[in-house]
Amino acid sequence: MNRSHGFRNKLIYLAVLIAMLIPLYLLGQPAGGGTTDPGGQLTQMRTSFNIAESELGDINPASETMKLASLGLRGVAATLLWSKAHDYEVAHEWDRLKATLNNIALLQPHYEKVWEFQSHNLAYNVSSQFDDYRQRYAMVREGTEFLTRGVEQNRKSSRLIWYTGWFYGQKIGISDEKRQFRRLFSDDEPLHQSLREQNIAVDSPEARGPDGKPDNWLVGRQWLFNGYNMVDSGVPIRNQTPINFYESGPKWRIKHAEAIESEGVLDDRAKSAWQQASDDWQTFGQRSIPTTSPFTIRLDGLDELTQRRDEKFEEFMSLAGETHQQIEEELRQSLTAAEREAIEIPVVDRSETQHSLAHTAQARLIPSLDNVARRAPESVRLRAIQLAAELRDLEARITKTRGHREQINYVYWKTLAQAEQEDRTVQARRLLFEAEQANADADLDLAIDKYEQAFALWAEVFDAYPILVMDDISDDLMRSIRRYTIAIDSDTFADDFPLSAFVEVMDSEMKSAEEYVRLRELQKERGTAAEPTEPAADQTPQPAEANAEPMPEPAPAPAGDGAAEPATEAPATDAPAAEPGEDAEMAPQPSAEAPQPDAPPAAETRPGDAAETQPSEPAEPAQPAEEQPQAPAESEPAAPAEGEPAAPAEGEPATPAEPAGDEPPAAEQPAPPAEPATDTESDGDSEAAGDAEPAAADPPEEAEPATDAEAG
Amino acid sequence: MILQPEDFWTFTQWLLRPQSFLESALLQGVVLVVLAILLGLVIGYLVSAVRYGPGEGFYAVARAVRDLVRFDLPGTSPRRIWALARLAYKESLRRKVLVVVALFVVGLLFAGWYLDPRSSDPARLYISFVLTATNYLILLLALFISTFSLPADIKSRTIYTIVTKPVRATEIVLGRMLGFIGVGTMMLVPMGIASYFFVTRGLWHDHEVVEIQETGGGRAEGKLSYDQFHEHTFTLDPPAAEGEPALGLTDMVRGHRHVIREENGQYIIGEPTGALRARIPVYGSLVFTDRTGTVSAAGIDVGHEKARGGYGSAGVARLVGVAREARRLEYGYMEGGTLSSAIYTFENITPARFPDEEGITMEMALRAFRTIKGDIVSGLNGSITMRNPDNPAIESNPITFVVQEYDVSEQLLPRQIEGTDGQTTRQLSLFDDLVAEDGSLEVIIRCLDRQQYLGATTSSVYLRPAESSFAWNLTKSYISIWLQMVMIIAFGVMFSTFLSGPVAMVATFVCVLLGFTAEQIYDIRYHIDRGEAMGGGPIESMVRLLRQDAMTTELDIDAVAGRLIQAVDAGIIYALDAVATSLPNLPKMLSTAEYAASGYDIFGSLLARHGVATLGYVILAFLIGYFFLKTREIAA
Repeated sequence: MNRSHGFRNKLIYLAVLIAMLIPLYLLGQPAGGGTTDPGGQLTQMRTSFNIAESELGDINPASETMKLASLGLRGVAATLLWSKAHDYEVAHEWDRLKATLNNIALLQPHYEKVWEFQSHNLAYNVSSQFDDYRQRYAMVREGTEFLTRGVEQNRKSSRLIWYTGWFYGQKIGISDEKRQFRRLFSDDEPLHQSLREQNIAVDSPEARGPDGKPDNWLVGRQWLFNGYNMVDSGVPIRNQTPINFYESGPKWRIKHAEAIESEGVLDDRAKSAWQQASDDWQTFGQRSIPTTSPFTIRLDGLDELTQRRDEKFEEFMSLAGETHQQIEEELRQSLTAAEREAIEIPVVDRSETQHSLAHTAQARLIPSLDNVARRAPESVRLRAIQLAAELRDLEARITKTRGHREQINYVYWKTLAQAEQEDRTVQARRLLFEAEQANADADLDLAIDKYEQAFALWAEVFDAYPILVMDDISDDLMRSIRRYTIAIDSDTFADDFPLSAFVEVMDSEMKSAEEYVRLRELQKERGTAAEPTEPAADQTPQPAEANAEPMPEPAPAPAGDGAAEPATEAPATDAPAAEPGEDAEMAPQPSAEAPQPDAPPAAETRPGDAAETQPSEPAEPAQPAEEQPQAPAESEPAAPAEGEPAAPAEGEPATPAEPAGDEPPAAEQPAPPAEPATDTESDGDSEAAGDAEPAAADPPEEAEPATDAEAG
Repeated sequence: MILQPEDFWTFTQWLLRPQSFLESALLQGVVLVVLAILLGLVIGYLVSAVRYGPGEGFYAVARAVRDLVRFDLPGTSPRRIWALARLAYKESLRRKVLVVVALFVVGLLFAGWYLDPRSSDPARLYISFVLTATNYLILLLALFISTFSLPADIKSRTIYTIVTKPVRATEIVLGRMLGFIGVGTMMLVPMGIASYFFVTRGLWHDHEVVEIQETGGGRAEGKLSYDQFHEHTFTLDPPAAEGEPALGLTDMVRGHRHVIREENGQYIIGEPTGALRARIPVYGSLVFTDRTGTVSAAGIDVGHEKARGGYGSAGVARLVGVAREARRLEYGYMEGGTLSSAIYTFENITPARFPDEEGITMEMALRAFRTIKGDIVSGLNGSITMRNPDNPAIESNPITFVVQEYDVSEQLLPRQIEGTDGQTTRQLSLFDDLVAEDGSLEVIIRCLDRQQYLGATTSSVYLRPAESSFAWNLTKSYISIWLQMVMIIAFGVMFSTFLSGPVAMVATFVCVLLGFTAEQIYDIRYHIDRGEAMGGGPIESMVRLLRQDAMTTELDIDAVAGRLIQAVDAGIIYALDAVATSLPNLPKMLSTAEYAASGYDIFGSLLARHGVATLGYVILAFLIGYFFLKTREIAA
């Protein structure tokens, strides 16, 4: 190759280079700024997908330099840094760990998981390594500030901003050191300053607690609401279910109110905190929330939906009622002899095989509305088909709404917020608080007096809002009752001890509002009269026994195993509930599940992780009774049973069973004071019969020693 | 900073390892030299035999050795070396290596972007940043200047202008080395000075008094403003005399405090002090006792994940398979409220060594581990008891303390302290009663809280008789960097005598890399030796990668193929192990930066060890370089 040859080659290379640069230039050309010049293809795509660096969040020159400096080996560099970060964590080199995390974040500023994972790592894992709670707090703060930087760099990440709000509330407000953390937070002026820079109005009354200082729950709420505003302005919710996303903000207000009360703020300030919490929760109930279905739901819209559904159903039946009957008859004919026999035998007399036969057969007996509509008289067929479609849609919405309500225990929180803003509740809490203080100061007479006043008030509160027995307070209350028994130096309570039903519920395995209502009713009956009420003849012996052995103590003893269980469980277990259901010829599944209402509340009182990890779709409404404090009412054969079928998710077969329209809404009401009472009256009568009594009467003997032990 | 067993060795212990000579550095050096000579002779003979035939080849090798011993070494003239060194030096400067200094300065300018200003110990971060940055830059520079120069000269034939003069190959090799070392040194010095100012300036900051209130008796306390992501509280004492300024001191935050002076109503905040330190520690030996009081070498393991490494400390013993396990000191824990304790025995405790009238300053970096949250507000409590090793009945009363984790806390062991001599409780004298005849003293640490644990390791409790200056400590870490540079230059020059520039650079780089990954290689060998599935050697792990198999599962391929792969892998790893063991342990040298960063004086013995090792490798590289240059035709 001679010299000119080489030179020519160089020219060719240069030309090729330039030729390759031209399309690159055209593709990547920046926008001209006007409407006429949208820029090159890449620019346009960047704009349309909103992923231009400046769109995503604040531009950080250090980050850009670092990305460039890694010469395309960003992934390799990040991987090395992650491994280094881990090594530092193992070596307890927290400072270097933080420095490494900074560098990772500089390399991958738009990788949301990095922010999420490492901030969690700092605030939860690393912070717990320190012995001094102030250092622990400092590390929690490091974590949240790291996350805040993530928010700055990712202005369109709903998840990060939500997570920040979550941290401020959950990590500071629920850890073991919450008292210290909350105090440190409210005095952390530099942090408040940096929050101000993040557009968090720490100075507004919205963010300040009763002491006039910023409160972690309320600041967390502000973050969450910033997130809601962001989503309302069109940013999609990603990596999270909308219900979970929207729930936290209003919930933080409730948590705030709970927190200040537990810290001894038990006056109008607590009341107003609860009022605001209630307002927030109500607003939340009105918010339309996207679901995985093509429609959105409102948590508070259930009554309206049910009502509409019932109206439509009525109309449908008026049009095609005969066809409905006819088809039902046909379906009945199609059953095998064995199935028919199984159905006709009363529930209690069925054998096991007959049970399951009846189960499936009954499901088949329910005609599909679409079928009915198609076979309706020609004159009304079109309208019927239309109605069937509407009903199907309504059903889906109801199912979805129910599922979501259950998922977050909507009714429970709603009731709680309502109950807590009453003077009576605040007063009850204050009395308990004062009693505890008096007890701590060894002023026993005063303590006993206060305890008794408090317990009486609490009994009233529980009577009005039975669902509150599932609240956090019940644990505190149980502890107080234990201390009270020590103070009065007695393991047994007086016959009229107001919380005996409560104690019994708490010590049973069936912790539920319904159970409480039932026991309370029994207690009252025993208190008022020895003679039985008319319907249940078997009950006669029971009050007598119960009077002989005062009710309250039995429960504490067994504490889970053995004796008392049958007492509390038997009446409410699946079987009795299911059977009446079948009697009523309704879709059996849901009713079988019905009496588990306690499960969700229990999960919800520790809102954190349970809510977090819940799958996006509520397990379709398997347990409709959750919001229905009166669940046992279902055992009443006719009416309530019909209210039930609204739940079955499976759809078609369920619908026709709905007709008895007015019942479901009633069942849906949270726990208005009156209703459970009336409901359970009949309930207790019908179902508590036979087997319940002996059991209830049984435990006392065993109960006492155990209470002793506890008291000791 | 957790020190490892070999960090405590003195120079002679390191060189000779009295108890286990197989681990000694001397043996390692001797083996290395003998192997190098044997290998050199064999290879030299083979090459010569190919060139001149088997008989002539032998004579050629013999001649080369004779030349070295009879002519070249004795005839080497410092003057000519000096001249050649100057040549190499000038040549390097002409190649604009000074750009590296500029690069370093630019790096320092932008360092602030990447250094966490909220760090809880900024001094540590800053120091380790400047030291590692300098280290890597200088090593890179050494790599480039040392490997490209000779091959370029040979290629451009400028070497002939030298070899035609009456110079010897020894002089060429040594001249190059010295010249490049000179260039490196010239750049290291300004970098060191810049680092010093970067650190001191970077840590400098000011506060203002934002709050102050009288507490009576002319005293006052208050708060300083929030600057540089922290704030201080302070106390102010009344003036000692009329007209004198009132003096005060802030609390310790982020490793520093300020002195405050009040003059005519003006508060003058002094510069941050205490952040840049060079403590001179005196370490003791540590044993634990368990909850029944029985002595055990290790404390309780609370289940923290263990760090890796620690095989390299056994030298040749590990290579030949006598020592296998990793030796790594971790924190051992003692259970609170039981007989469990950590007993440190310090030697040579004399009033002359610890002249302080008050007592002996002891520093502790203990860790806490809680099995229950317990009392959240207060830290865990521990106690310190001094005991006479000869007569354990003589024991001081316990001094209680609250543990401060991830921080060094100071404790005074007073010269006079109440205690018991076995019969009576009386005032004990530290040096007369508690220190044994041979000058040893036991210090016993206990945890006082039940169900809670305190952790300690040998280096976490030490006596501090004195303090060195930070500047001198920084200089020592720069000397350590300098030694590494010298080593790399020697290797670079050696390789460049027989390889072309880029290849020589890659070869040197591989040596450095092997030095840095030695611990990983040892770790792989360890698992191969024990027959534990842990990913295996290079081929096996490649297979696993492709098959997406986890590293701890059995290798799920054909049995014969599997055995073959593992055999080849073992061969590769054993060879790599041998090579890595014979290469300088650069990570160890790099770790001196850790001392400076953590505020500990770099032990003289450590520096001496590095110096001797460097010298050894330089001599080896020089001889190898000499022979290769000698055998090349240009120098013939």
